[in-house]
Amino acid sequence: MAEISEPSKPPQLDSGSSEAGLSQFDPKTMRNTKPGFKRLILTISVFSSFLLGLPFLWKSVEIYRAPLPFKDIDALSSHIESSPLQFPCTFRVIFFGFDSMASRAEQLKSSILDEMTKLSSKSSLCGSCSNNYAVSVVIESGSDCSQTRTDASSCSWRCGALSASDFAASLENGLQSADDFLEVALGGCYKPASGGRVYSVVVMNKGENVKATIGKYRHGWIVGRVSEAEAIAKVAETFVKLFGNGGTEDGLIPGEFMPVGADGKIFLSFNLLNADPDDWIYDWDFQKVDEVILKPLIEELTPIANVSVESQVLYHTPTSSFSYWDNKQESYIFNTKDLPFFVNSNEWHLDTSIAAGGRSKILHFVVYIPSARECPLLLQLPDGQISETNGFISPTWGGVIVWNPKGCLRDHESKLLHRHMILYPELEKIVEVFLGQFRQLFGLKSNPQHVGLSGTFNILTSQKGFTEWEMDFLSRQHSCFNLHSCASSLGSLSRLVQSLPRMIIIDEIGKQVKYSLEAANLAQKNASMGVFDAAAISSRQARSLAEDAFFHPSIMSVSYFSFEHCFAVYSPFFLPVALHVILAAVREWKRYKQEHKKYIAFLAKPKQS
Amino acid sequence: MASFLRLISLLCLPILFAVSVNGSVSEGTEEDFSEDLLLKPLPDRKVLAHFHFQSRAPSSRSNSYGRHHHLFPKAISQLVHKYRIKEMELSFTQGRWRYDHWGGFDLISSSNAKPSGVELWAVFDVLPNEVDATWKNLTHSLSGLFCASINFLESSTSYSAPKWSFHPESENMRYGTLPREAVCTENLTPWLKLLPCRDKSGLSVLMDRPSIYKGYYHSQRLHLLSSEFDSNAVDSAIVLDQTLTVVLQPHNHRGTLGYSTATQLQPSWSLSTIFGRRVIGKCSLARSSNVYIQLDRGLMAELQGMLGEQEMFSIARAGFEGSRSNPAFELSANPDRVHMEMSSRYDKHASVLYMFMVAEKYDDSEPLDLRFTWKIPVAWSIPQAPLHVTRFLLGSGNERGAIALQLKSTKPSDRLMPDTVFADNCSLLVRVFQVVPWYIKVYYHTLHIFINDQPHKINNVIEKMQVSPSKDKVSPGVMEMLLKLPCGLKSAALTIEFDKGFLHIDEYPPDANQGLDIPSAVISFPDFSTSTQFVENNSSKSPILLKWQGQNPILSYTEVLLVPFTTPDFSMPYNVITITCTVLALYFGSLLNVLRRRVGEEERFMKSKATRKLRVLHLVSKLLAKLRGRQWEPSESQSPSSVSNSKSKLLFKVILVAGLAAAWQYYFG
Repeated sequence: MAEISEPSKPPQLDSGSSEAGLSQFDPKTMRNTKPGFKRLILTISVFSSFLLGLPFLWKSVEIYRAPLPFKDIDALSSHIESSPLQFPCTFRVIFFGFDSMASRAEQLKSSILDEMTKLSSKSSLCGSCSNNYAVSVVIESGSDCSQTRTDASSCSWRCGALSASDFAASLENGLQSADDFLEVALGGCYKPASGGRVYSVVVMNKGENVKATIGKYRHGWIVGRVSEAEAIAKVAETFVKLFGNGGTEDGLIPGEFMPVGADGKIFLSFNLLNADPDDWIYDWDFQKVDEVILKPLIEELTPIANVSVESQVLYHTPTSSFSYWDNKQESYIFNTKDLPFFVNSNEWHLDTSIAAGGRSKILHFVVYIPSARECPLLLQLPDGQISETNGFISPTWGGVIVWNPKGCLRDHESKLLHRHMILYPELEKIVEVFLGQFRQLFGLKSNPQHVGLSGTFNILTSQKGFTEWEMDFLSRQHSCFNLHSCASSLGSLSRLVQSLPRMIIIDEIGKQVKYSLEAANLAQKNASMGVFDAAAISSRQARSLAEDAFFHPSIMSVSYFSFEHCFAVYSPFFLPVALHVILAAVREWKRYKQEHKKYIAFLAKPKQS
Repeated sequence: MASFLRLISLLCLPILFAVSVNGSVSEGTEEDFSEDLLLKPLPDRKVLAHFHFQSRAPSSRSNSYGRHHHLFPKAISQLVHKYRIKEMELSFTQGRWRYDHWGGFDLISSSNAKPSGVELWAVFDVLPNEVDATWKNLTHSLSGLFCASINFLESSTSYSAPKWSFHPESENMRYGTLPREAVCTENLTPWLKLLPCRDKSGLSVLMDRPSIYKGYYHSQRLHLLSSEFDSNAVDSAIVLDQTLTVVLQPHNHRGTLGYSTATQLQPSWSLSTIFGRRVIGKCSLARSSNVYIQLDRGLMAELQGMLGEQEMFSIARAGFEGSRSNPAFELSANPDRVHMEMSSRYDKHASVLYMFMVAEKYDDSEPLDLRFTWKIPVAWSIPQAPLHVTRFLLGSGNERGAIALQLKSTKPSDRLMPDTVFADNCSLLVRVFQVVPWYIKVYYHTLHIFINDQPHKINNVIEKMQVSPSKDKVSPGVMEMLLKLPCGLKSAALTIEFDKGFLHIDEYPPDANQGLDIPSAVISFPDFSTSTQFVENNSSKSPILLKWQGQNPILSYTEVLLVPFTTPDFSMPYNVITITCTVLALYFGSLLNVLRRRVGEEERFMKSKATRKLRVLHLVSKLLAKLRGRQWEPSESQSPSSVSNSKSKLLFKVILVAGLAAAWQYYFG
């Protein structure tokens, strides 16, 4: 206390002495000693120590956030947004029997290119070879052979590799053999630059009827008496609409409805539904179907998705809407407008699969066997026709087929033979419809003809379900959609993270984002090189990693450690203390200024006097 | 009765074993399904209904890799394959099984009397270090599958690994219970979804939700046994047993409830009166669909005492004679078959099982509505486990207590003899399995044993004991004991003391003031087992009969204990923060004030203020005097008035404080 009271003595002494001595000395406006620094320094030092401590406090309440490469994410999204993926495609036309245009290969090429630009400008489908293609033209006429100049990246044509007579002979044996013949004759060029893929069309001026056929590999042929302009139109359409766009129409199935799970898996869940087992019970030998029909399909689809198959038989599964009896058809009719009510989610416990992970896609394929009360059951199209397949699809959910037991009207009375097996030929038919539905879910057409602007094209179907050029298209499309979805999830993740500054981000998320970006870049590189399979695989990885990061449980559960919480915990101490400290510092500073002024006044006074 | 049992099981043990082995593993290569319902009158005027559904899938090794299913639920098969489950049991129970009234020595009480809430145990076929991870994933899958909070069993504090006392095959086994889980229809619906016919046809049509949840006891159980991963098994299969056991009170119009006396007629019942529904037909996918009515040994003994030989014969042969009526009771339909328990020379009392096949003959117009009508009043006692077990808490207060486990003999002492002991050195083996949560800190050295109310040395009684003490916030304590009790005992008791631990604020359950649960202890009698061999051992391979014939251990669960805990004020952490911070801030502020205090200056200031104040007072008194209209006397009245002034001030202060206190008391007290 003594120490504290000491500095206050001088003014007192001053005032005492001033009263005694100097008459003009006013203690209110001046002082004769220098004001003390002691209290000012004390309060200021306390205040500044608080200020110094603030960063440490800030550091201690800081939460851990793994550094995310925001810049790279933005770069990826902007890159994907601004310049859609450019898949290089190499096309080749081989003309046979067009002697008239022997040396006009370059001219032909430019006219085909013109035609293609006209067609492709309308279609901007993700995954098509939009404008990044190379076309080469070969004209074989007898012994003469001319071709356009080719750049180093694509294969040059070896003259006489395909003999017109052999091809004509193979055509005699049917379309399949011609297809196989072309595959052997045209194959053999594998340049890594374009992924070894050259889409070829053979145009043969022979015979009468013009027939355009697309094989199940990567080539097609047009045989018949075609004019040059017609040939060019057909060739261009084949390239753009079929090889480029996979024969799909714009907006048939948008990319968001791709039936592939975020982790790149598809579960095909096949269900046989017996509407009323008291009438009849059907069973199937799905094991055999799985081994014979589905296995090749699954292998074919590996670049796009991992496909698993499971099946079950369910009972007591009525539809939730009713059909009506039609005398003309002698059957029960189910209208298209009632189709949304066909799937009865209350009674059809198709169930999600336990084997499937959280983000796998499950496609349900349902064979519905109607009960005796509504058998046979037919589906009616909006135009009044009866559906040929007797089935329908629901995008991203799956497909339904109504299968009517044979002679169900007769069986209604005799309940003797209760349990049946769906015979294998029948089952094969059902599975064929499934395959068609599966193709539709992927956005591909399932009818064997493509009606284009320049005529109809026959499309040969593959045993595996998807032809090679369709698979190429699917790979391209999926890489494109995967990259889009990867960029958008990473973009939303970065926006989310930036908008919540107090959200904890663990290292794993940072790693996932990093790997996802790497995979996305790799996919882009592969795509630009034309390696579609590899692009599809790495884009799938990129997407699944991005989704993993976005849906990481640590983000979901502890979404953020709020600032309000922090404030509530620290304010009871810091608010009152800060008040004291700041007030003390301010007061002392004011007082010091005031006293200093007094002292200045005192110093100035003797000069006056 | 005990001697009879002993003899039966001695005679039939090898045969039974063979039967049960054959029975448990399917001989067919097809998936199949069968359904059974057992009804049984209970001595306390209630009726037991026990549904049993069995689905069986053949080996996945021979076909389809377990991916294609016809009858067997896909979800279960995927569960088995994903988590490599060897055996699993999940039960949802509401209510407590009353061992004294509803039996303790038969198949249903030993395998379907479950502790209330959820009980889950599973044996995995994985490496020992992967068991915990597999268990965690399994709990999550099951909680999704059954709409229950089974995922709470994920935390390592809630499950344990019994070594030998719970199940004979305890390697890679995990056991957990949730005593507080409520059971309702949302658990039953997914359970029904596993049946091919769900509740659309067959016996499950009887499961009218209001009537089965109205019962006194409700236990829904799912048992999985797979030999998929057993490389030695010749033909592997997955067997899924789903049972629903309910104890219901039949509607009784004459209405007195309670234990029946000898003079009062037992209530008559039928399927429609207890369930409110009738069986229209069998599930068309079921291989067999049967309804059984069982009359237990105690009831038969009682009836034999009351009726003559001829009449007893008619009871046992009701089906063949075509007479469904006898002097004691009447059945509304002729049983298709009567299974008579194989009786011995010593004990003539044997249970009777009437079988009714649900066949095509029943339909909407003529449903199966089995009716059981009593004609004479009868009171009987049901076969009991050798010891009746109760568990309770000792001590008071929120700090410490003791758990007491009391075993009471249910039979006259001379008859309490297990099967395996013949001679004078007679003893009874009892296994105890007790899981104690970590916040109950059990002192294992304080274990005391009383036999016939006399303290006994532990070493003389305990044959084998294994204790894994609890680790705070990591694992619960597990106590496994094998007791060897003398045969002639009337009662035995075990006590063990504990302290109640302190929980972190996050660890309290939502309703902390209710208290915390100690899960049921499991008491089993390794010397005893139930197995019922029937006289007509014919082709009827109904799963429930096969189960009946197999060796089933006798076990009983004790009550769940509710331990009251001191619960903190849950806003306490923030209060503590606030008060400490305030104190610190006060200290800080006052220190700072003292540091920058200028005493001399303040004194001067005070002095000048005091003079100003005096002047003000002066003025005020002047004004007051003027108002009163009196002459102002400056000096004389000055001192007394100031004294009275200060006095009134004090009084006012006291009144103010008292008023504030009263108001505080009134509004906040």
